[in-house]
Amino acid sequence: MDRYHWLVFLHVTGAFMVLGGAVMAGIFNFAALRRERPSEVVLLFRLTRFAVTSISIGMVLTLAFGLWLVSDADYSWGEAWIILALVLWVAANALGGIGGKRDTRTRELAERLAAGGDAPSPELRARLRDPISLALSWGSGVVVVVILALMIWKPGA
Amino acid sequence: MLAIVRPDSWNFPLFLHVLGAIALVGATAATCVLAARSQRSPWLRRVAFRTLVFVVVPAWLLMRLAGQWIDSKEDLTVDPTWLGIGFLVGDVGLVVLLVTIGLGWWSTRRPDRNWPGQVVAGLTGLYLVALLVAMFTMSGKPGS
Repeated sequence: MDRYHWLVFLHVTGAFMVLGGAVMAGIFNFAALRRERPSEVVLLFRLTRFAVTSISIGMVLTLAFGLWLVSDADYSWGEAWIILALVLWVAANALGGIGGKRDTRTRELAERLAAGGDAPSPELRARLRDPISLALSWGSGVVVVVILALMIWKPGA
Repeated sequence: MLAIVRPDSWNFPLFLHVLGAIALVGATAATCVLAARSQRSPWLRRVAFRTLVFVVVPAWLLMRLAGQWIDSKEDLTVDPTWLGIGFLVGDVGLVVLLVTIGLGWWSTRRPDRNWPGQVVAGLTGLYLVALLVAMFTMSGKPGS
């Protein structure tokens, strides 16, 4: 296997870790929306840590090996699809980061409720269904799908 | 440098194939984690079973059908090794998934028994490794 194919493999591995992690997080998030007991919500939020770790490592891999690929495959740094992908990479991280902080506060609330009787709570239900948190987390995933589309179509290349 | 010379007409099926494969990897990993953690929280088995039926299977279909679509466009006279491994993991994987779905259903019916849930975790873990091998061969194309 030559260097180009190794770089593609490592770059694609990063993409699988990011989007695969996003799918995992989405599944746990969707399951948490359907639970009433705080302890069950806590468990699903804790499982989300596997997804967050995968996404974090994948983000670094995609960027590092993506940049290496650009120079190795003789693409121009000024090509629109590369610049747009980098801007969207930053946007996906920002959206996911802000959404993640809001989810952490929801998990902390669920942990307090679980420790104090584990009764269903309207406040927790509202936090789980908060449209801003959902838009940030799911929006981050959508942005990464758009990056994937850019990587395949490479408009302007 | 296949990515550079790939015809434009392959892009949409390739996008669907990769999207399906990524969703398959993510959903399989989620099922594995859910089933592995279901020993102390049996309600997770139902979540794992629903993930298999409503996410893993549709993702497998998207990956496999879009893969076949690209294959029909490529017009290869001899199937290279990386393609054969991809087909093998895809097709044998369906059998593994069907067995896993059966065990997943069984695990939700028998919450007093731990072994079906643990076997679901083991099978999805094995399938995840197979998917990663397929990803390695299909993206790196060793030997091509």
